[in-house]
Amino acid sequence: MADIALVDHASAAGEQPPRSFAIPAGLRCASPVILFLLLGFVAPLVTVAAYAFATPRSFDVFRSFTLANFAEILDPANTVWMSFAWALAFAFATVVVLAVVAYPIAYGLNRVFGRWAGFVSVLFVFPLFVSENVRLYGWVLFFLKNGVLDGTLKLLGFAGGPEVLYTPGIILFGMAYVYLPFMLFPMTLGLAMVPRDLVDAARDLGASRTMIWREIELPLAMPGILIGMLLTFVLAAGAVAESKILGGQSVIMITHDIEIAFTYAQNWPLGSALAVLLMIIVSGLALLVMSKLDLDRILGRR
Amino acid sequence: MDTPGARRTRFFIAAWTAFVVLVVYLPIVCGALAGLSKGRYFAFPVRAFTVEWWQKTKDSFEIGVLVQNSLTIAAIVTVISVLLAFFGALAFARYDWKGRRLYQKLILLPIFFPQPVLGLALLLWFNAIGVMPSWQTAAIAHLVWIVPVVTLVIAIQVYSFDPVLEEAAFDLGASRLFILREITLPILWPGIWSGALFAFLLSWGNFPLSLYTAGADSTVPKWLYSKMVAGYSPMVPALGTMSTLAAAVLLLTGGLVVMLLRRRSAATQ
Amino acid sequence: MTLAMAAPDPATVEAVPVPTPRPVLQLVGVRKTFGAFSAVERIDLDIREGEFLTIVGPSGSGKTTLLRMLAGMEAPSEGNITLRGELINDLPANKRPTCLVFQSLALFPHKTVGQNIEFPLKVKGVPPAQRKERALELLRMVRLPEAYYGKNVMKCSGGERQRVALARAFAYDPDVLFFDEPLSALDYKLKKVLEKELKDLHKESGKTFIYITHSLEEAMVMSDRIGVMQAGRLVQVGTPEEIYTRPANRFVSEFVGEVNVVGVSREGMRWTADDSGQEIRLALPRQMADAARAAVVIRPEFMRFVDAASTADNVLRGRIYNEYSLGSRIQYQVRVGERTVLLELSRAQAWRGAPDADVLVGWDAADAIVVEA
Repeated sequence: MADIALVDHASAAGEQPPRSFAIPAGLRCASPVILFLLLGFVAPLVTVAAYAFATPRSFDVFRSFTLANFAEILDPANTVWMSFAWALAFAFATVVVLAVVAYPIAYGLNRVFGRWAGFVSVLFVFPLFVSENVRLYGWVLFFLKNGVLDGTLKLLGFAGGPEVLYTPGIILFGMAYVYLPFMLFPMTLGLAMVPRDLVDAARDLGASRTMIWREIELPLAMPGILIGMLLTFVLAAGAVAESKILGGQSVIMITHDIEIAFTYAQNWPLGSALAVLLMIIVSGLALLVMSKLDLDRILGRR
Repeated sequence: MDTPGARRTRFFIAAWTAFVVLVVYLPIVCGALAGLSKGRYFAFPVRAFTVEWWQKTKDSFEIGVLVQNSLTIAAIVTVISVLLAFFGALAFARYDWKGRRLYQKLILLPIFFPQPVLGLALLLWFNAIGVMPSWQTAAIAHLVWIVPVVTLVIAIQVYSFDPVLEEAAFDLGASRLFILREITLPILWPGIWSGALFAFLLSWGNFPLSLYTAGADSTVPKWLYSKMVAGYSPMVPALGTMSTLAAAVLLLTGGLVVMLLRRRSAATQ
Repeated sequence: MTLAMAAPDPATVEAVPVPTPRPVLQLVGVRKTFGAFSAVERIDLDIREGEFLTIVGPSGSGKTTLLRMLAGMEAPSEGNITLRGELINDLPANKRPTCLVFQSLALFPHKTVGQNIEFPLKVKGVPPAQRKERALELLRMVRLPEAYYGKNVMKCSGGERQRVALARAFAYDPDVLFFDEPLSALDYKLKKVLEKELKDLHKESGKTFIYITHSLEEAMVMSDRIGVMQAGRLVQVGTPEEIYTRPANRFVSEFVGEVNVVGVSREGMRWTADDSGQEIRLALPRQMADAARAAVVIRPEFMRFVDAASTADNVLRGRIYNEYSLGSRIQYQVRVGERTVLLELSRAQAWRGAPDADVLVGWDAADAIVVEA
């Protein structure tokens, strides 16, 4: 049973051949979800977009139209573009770091751990169920003055722990930490798509380890790797908890600026404009990458 | 192929994985320590251990309300998401219909979306339609990102479901409802259960969405964050650790149930 | 049970015409198209009550589509399917008194053997105690031990699962059973055993069996009649004997096994081989009296080595280049010009000369079948 047998229920059951306006079973099943997402996902985003064009610092959405908010963002005197740059740079760096960190683990889950693969997967899934602020705060406790690291080093006779908190470096570390599962699992799926036979055949034909990796494993696993990278980038670009909890005020991320605009500054149009720009970058990238993928093949293979 | 090179590679991979696992769980361990240390402010090595903070957390009325909020939200999110996602998964992986490929990409969009931004957008939206943020709106916010996740989880199970079984049951005289009850649901049940487990746990531990859309109501993660920023006491890591333990226990029992269901159903082809 | 028949008194018995068995299923002008592709072209077929009919053909010939239309899984694009005279084109599969045994068997993996067999009874609302009784009966019928009742169906072997699928189909008590290549995944020995059991079951139950396979051997063993399909058309329907000895055309004759085919053309009063020009003696069937071209089909068992002491109507000169042992028979490949000629001889008649000798091979006109080219 290799193929996914897709069914149009009506004809398969020998029922009346569907009339031209009978709704296919798939669409009927999809409609509750689609409806819910239209109301719960699309509508809010449309509202944000509408606010982006509203008069600055006001609440008359859908009644005004102006590009003033975007002008304010793109004004060279404004430093908010720095938040954008920081967020995107951090997201990019996180992707690079995690690609390197996660790849060996993904390889292990597929080829090395055997029966233990399930258990190891659970170990990596579990942190997703612990809210990230709890986990990040644990790192604060680790790196704090008199924290676990500092205390242990002092106990061993060293001077004390490095002043690592509230620096950009620790923010990157925090982001890599939080988003590891989102890089790991798609990558694992991707590597699972490389049939064992091909690697053996290549080796039999004399290829070196590096060549096998470059010519066979990497290209075949690419869909999964791409999804992992995309997911990590998109989520990391909008991250804010790491910079707040671990980074203090050392770096302001774009989401933080959006939040401030929505709350303290009470400037919803500005916040919306920022959000729109972020969404365009993030969702645009997502749609671009996903349009090139065949999800049936990635998720349907066992 | 057991060349020394291959064995070395395997060793490094295992060692690296073990190291990363250690790093992943280190902060959780630190949190556990902080919740059990006597002093008001955390210091390592811990001078004295005590369970008094755990006791205070358990006795606290405020925290009781939080836990109840989180539980209620998680329960509602689980039920609704499984219902929506079950049919969504059938549309994703089982039936062939015209917009299917587009639907597959679009339904994943809320996952490929930074949660804080989604939370803020929902806040705006609730305001625009005149709804006061409360724990109910937080539940809706959770659903927006959790329904696609659960759809994915159930869809993975649906992919391995052979439609021939339904055809055979139909040929043997069964009605559609009978087939759903006797064949389709029992075979998909492990996937549905996994989806429910994911939904509950993801909602229980969700922070960014709750932060922006829960309004005056608070959930466990939200309260923890507010206390981290101002008003720290060891009750914070205590509650954090308790919450983590609860999630772990639930995951373990839920996982065991799924394993038992799979063994009974043996539905993989 | 035997009826003691007294010899009829010729004075009292009227001459009663023997009725042809009435058709239980009838296809008239049935066609199935998927978009521009025509899977089944106009099929007219009467299926007799109680017969074992096998439809054979290569992959893609449309046999599975035909079966699915009969079973109710697909609706015909054109034409009518009737059951005992009533039109059933739009009757859904769960209302038809028919049952299909799928190629993959489609056993419910989450149910035990007993639960699988009882499924159609459960649908009908039969109470549990009676269901179990009937299920045990059926287990005995398919020669499975009663202890299998509680066994998980995925833990059974391939052959055992076949039997469970059979029992489940019988539990539905259909008038017609359809089989979609159920034995194709089994090893040879098991296949042989199950073929004979299926045949016995057919005889004991008296139900109509319609069977699909690409293996003519299976069909020959089990069927009352065989229908040969090619590219969506039913090219011949007849008893195994008829299909084998009087194939309707070249396709059917080649389908029935490895054969030798000599293309011939008429030259005046004679027939000559297309490739060598050698005259070929043949017995032309009546319906081909006016044909200008024909194909002469000679089965390997009718080819023989010709030496000084014997003769044959047609003789070819060639060289042996391969010999295959087929158990009790030996097959020889003889190169004649550009073509290969196959001979099949019993061990007693085996060639005793050099393995690559020049030889004469021949056949008699009466042993060859002449079909359209």
